[in-house]
Amino acid sequence: MFEMLKQLKEAVLKEIEAAKNINSLEDLRIRYFGRKGKITEVLRKLKDLSQEERINIGASANQLKQELELILEQKKKDLGASFEAAREWIDISAPGHKLPRGHLHPRTQVLRKIEEIFQSLGFSVVWGPELETDFYNFEALNVPKDHPARDMQDTFYVDEQMLLRTQTSPMQVRYMEKHEPPLRIIVPGKVFRRDATDASHDCQFYQIEGLMVDKEISVANFKAVIQEFFKRFYGQDTKIRLRPSFFPFTEPSFEVDMVCAVCGGHGCRVCGQTGWLEMMGAGMVHPFVFKSAGYISGQWQGFAFGMGLDRLVMMKYRINDIRLLNSGDLRFLKQF
Amino acid sequence: MKFSANWLNEYLKKSVAPEKMVEFLTMHVFEVEGIDKKGKDSVLDIKVLPDRAHDCFSHIGIAKEIAAISNNQFLFPKINFKEDRSLKIKDFISVEIRNLDLCPRYSMQMVTNIKVGPSPEWMQERLIVCGLRPINNIVDITNYVMLETGQPLHAFDLDKLDTNTRIATNDTNKKTIIVRRAQNGEKIITLDEGRAERILDSDILVIADSEKPIGIAGIKGGRGPEIDNQTKRIVIEAANFNPINIRRSSKKLNLRTDASTRFENGLDPNLTLDALKRCVFLIGEFAEGKVVSGIIDIYSKKIKPRKILLAFSRAQTLLGIKITSQQIAAIFKRLAMPSKIIKKAKEEFIEVIAPTSRLDLLLPEDLIEEIGRLWGYDKIPAKMPQGVILPAIKNEDLIYEDKIRNILAGFGYAEVQNYSLISDGDQKLFDSDEIVEIINPLSQDQKYLRPSLIINLLKNARENLKYFSGIRLFEIGHTFIRENGSYVEKNKITGLICQKNILKHGENFFELKGLTEALLDKLGISDYWFDDAISQKYDWLKFVHPRRRAEIKSGDEAIGWVAEAKPELLAALEIKERVAIFELDFAGLKELASEERFYVPPSKYPAIIRDLAVIVDRDIKIEAVLNIIEIEGGALLQDVDIFDIYEGLEGNKKSLAFRLTFQSDERNLTDKEVNELMEKIIKVIEERGWEIRK
Repeated sequence: MFEMLKQLKEAVLKEIEAAKNINSLEDLRIRYFGRKGKITEVLRKLKDLSQEERINIGASANQLKQELELILEQKKKDLGASFEAAREWIDISAPGHKLPRGHLHPRTQVLRKIEEIFQSLGFSVVWGPELETDFYNFEALNVPKDHPARDMQDTFYVDEQMLLRTQTSPMQVRYMEKHEPPLRIIVPGKVFRRDATDASHDCQFYQIEGLMVDKEISVANFKAVIQEFFKRFYGQDTKIRLRPSFFPFTEPSFEVDMVCAVCGGHGCRVCGQTGWLEMMGAGMVHPFVFKSAGYISGQWQGFAFGMGLDRLVMMKYRINDIRLLNSGDLRFLKQF
Repeated sequence: MKFSANWLNEYLKKSVAPEKMVEFLTMHVFEVEGIDKKGKDSVLDIKVLPDRAHDCFSHIGIAKEIAAISNNQFLFPKINFKEDRSLKIKDFISVEIRNLDLCPRYSMQMVTNIKVGPSPEWMQERLIVCGLRPINNIVDITNYVMLETGQPLHAFDLDKLDTNTRIATNDTNKKTIIVRRAQNGEKIITLDEGRAERILDSDILVIADSEKPIGIAGIKGGRGPEIDNQTKRIVIEAANFNPINIRRSSKKLNLRTDASTRFENGLDPNLTLDALKRCVFLIGEFAEGKVVSGIIDIYSKKIKPRKILLAFSRAQTLLGIKITSQQIAAIFKRLAMPSKIIKKAKEEFIEVIAPTSRLDLLLPEDLIEEIGRLWGYDKIPAKMPQGVILPAIKNEDLIYEDKIRNILAGFGYAEVQNYSLISDGDQKLFDSDEIVEIINPLSQDQKYLRPSLIINLLKNARENLKYFSGIRLFEIGHTFIRENGSYVEKNKITGLICQKNILKHGENFFELKGLTEALLDKLGISDYWFDDAISQKYDWLKFVHPRRRAEIKSGDEAIGWVAEAKPELLAALEIKERVAIFELDFAGLKELASEERFYVPPSKYPAIIRDLAVIVDRDIKIEAVLNIIEIEGGALLQDVDIFDIYEGLEGNKKSLAFRLTFQSDERNLTDKEVNELMEKIIKVIEERGWEIRK
């Protein structure tokens, strides 16, 4: 008898499990729990048994009946719910609502990353005017009037004394006039050159100036800071090299090259087959600049650098024409 | 500048392969921008920067660098000639310098019995690879020596110089060269391609004979005493001129030459004699000339080598390397600069004697650069700076700029960054009185500084309308105007919207009004209002719609405006859609945004809400109705929302639907008291002759 009940239970459970809809479930209920149902039949047979057996098996059989009815009810609910849900179906392949989408300029996005890295390295972020004096843009930086170095940066003037800054470097002296070392700053900003434009040159672009001054800042320190910057910017170790160069406001001066991010140094179109990309001009702050800022000579040492932002932006997003950055073309801006 | 590898190797004891030269130069002194094979020679395009132009616009200068870098030996060029003792230069010519400040040195030698003809082929080839055109042996030799030494030379045909008749001498044929300022209006025809007549002035230094200018000093020779096939006797000039004067004259005349490029970077005055000797030697070799004895040499202030003292510790700390004094001394030996180690007060110094050919070496830091580049920057280890790190602070303006960018982009606007320079045409269109003009524009497109961001933003809209039907743009950037004779640079925030097929009256305007409200709210500015009774004569009023514009104010202070663009302006720009624009002054905004704000807890008591519809004439301002509701509603009227505006009523009327929220922070309100307030409001509205819709 017990064995029979057990087999019956397994059979019912299997059928409940397999039931696909309410109808088959109802069918099943009648077959097992109906007046002529198999379980009802078993319960009916109980009266033929002995008193002892009736108590034992009767309890088990009733328990089984209740148990199975409960499972049956649950299954009924589940099937009903899924039936309801089926009517709630939506086509998720239909388009989402067209919310107006705003875009931050790619320069803004890259600049934020750069600022964040330098801030984590202890550099404050400051800004300066775009319409500058000849003094801060040139003279205070050891570029007197009529100096051939002025040819390195063709300049837009609005009068004899005022010009559109050709570099972010005027902020070096402006900042040092008001602050004492130790100091670390970066100065992002727009600069202007009176040059013909093409896909890689524009008369207006962005630079990031860097300046660090303390008692014993060295070329070795510059190397470490810049290496760390590129490492964090590109998320991997990048090799850099310093080459001698000339800027009137740094001594020694160098160009900073980075192993080409596109070809990894093997040589490609982007790096002109050299394997290196020119990333910034830099050097150790010239004593003349400290003097311009009113610092006592010989007390401080520091490095300064000027990095082109546009180049980094163009490389990151593979933008092939610098003028797109100044274009206001939504077909371009919408991609960022 | 172009250099021949074969030619460079002539001065090096151990020959160096061109590719090696590129590597040496790039890593230790100058960038090599290109290398080109030309027959058996290679041409290097070396980017000599202004600080070394005085000695490295020459093959000798570059060869000396290669020798120092590669620990090679530099070989001096050959000079070996005999002077004709029977002839003395001073019997033929005298030189007078009237402006010693502009001409620190003037040296001259004379060669006679020359035979003018073509120069040897190898010399012509070298001139050609360096970008010079061969002319004849005499001119080619002067050019060759210039490319070799860096000293420009000029040869005059002695017989074509005017005789000085005013100076009584036994030999009436004696000539005079005068170095003087030109007279205003004096003319000269120069020997350049154009052979143009140039008008001079007293700022320009000339080389003259007794009558007239025969050359513009340091820039270009003049027609007259030039060398031709008949020339027999020549004098050769090797001079030193004031670099600033040459630069200014060259700019003024718009005449840049190989000579002027060299002089404007400054030259070692001690270079003249070496170059002159080399030149007459070559003329003897390749033009059969006889060198007349003696040299005219006017050199008043002799320049001597400089002693520079460098503290050894300074070199170490600035470069960040461990280097011994012996290693430093070895570096200067390679540069052919004598040095000695000196101990003073426990500190070690190195005293270096910088030759006059290195005009750039003045300070200890200049010596440190020599040490650094020859030691090799690649050998300097990377070392993080040590010391106290001060907290990095981002300037508050930049923080606010970023915040505003995020807010505007969040509302669906795309950030643009436009040109700060605008064209002549733009200026005419926007007709700004206070505009700042560029005095040396490169083109008509870049003639003025933008007085506002709107100009370019409108042009962006026009271009984008070709591809899009809804345009939302913003820019944060600097604008420039003149105010009371000085320049004012202001940071502005400007946004633009332009939608095709708009249905509602003034929809563009109201989106931007909503945008500025949202921006101000998000910046924590609550005290602002829109004013259309504008009394000031703002520049912006010129390009906005006269009936669709509002000034944005906080208290009495103007912080910006929002408006539709003037139809005439849109027509001129060929924009066929309505466009709305806003502009906010960054500085004013930042100041207001810095106000503190405090949390107000929500009321614990329920609110009672009532709707009210008012019918008014179409030209009645919503604000007028709102004011009455707010005043009559009193302190318990916590909020009024306008939720419907219907303008299509008969008799040119509109219906305004308001939702009024009454609530107290202290107690439950009763229907009775709210009803009383509503009646009070209705009464005043009806007194105005407005109708309450029931």
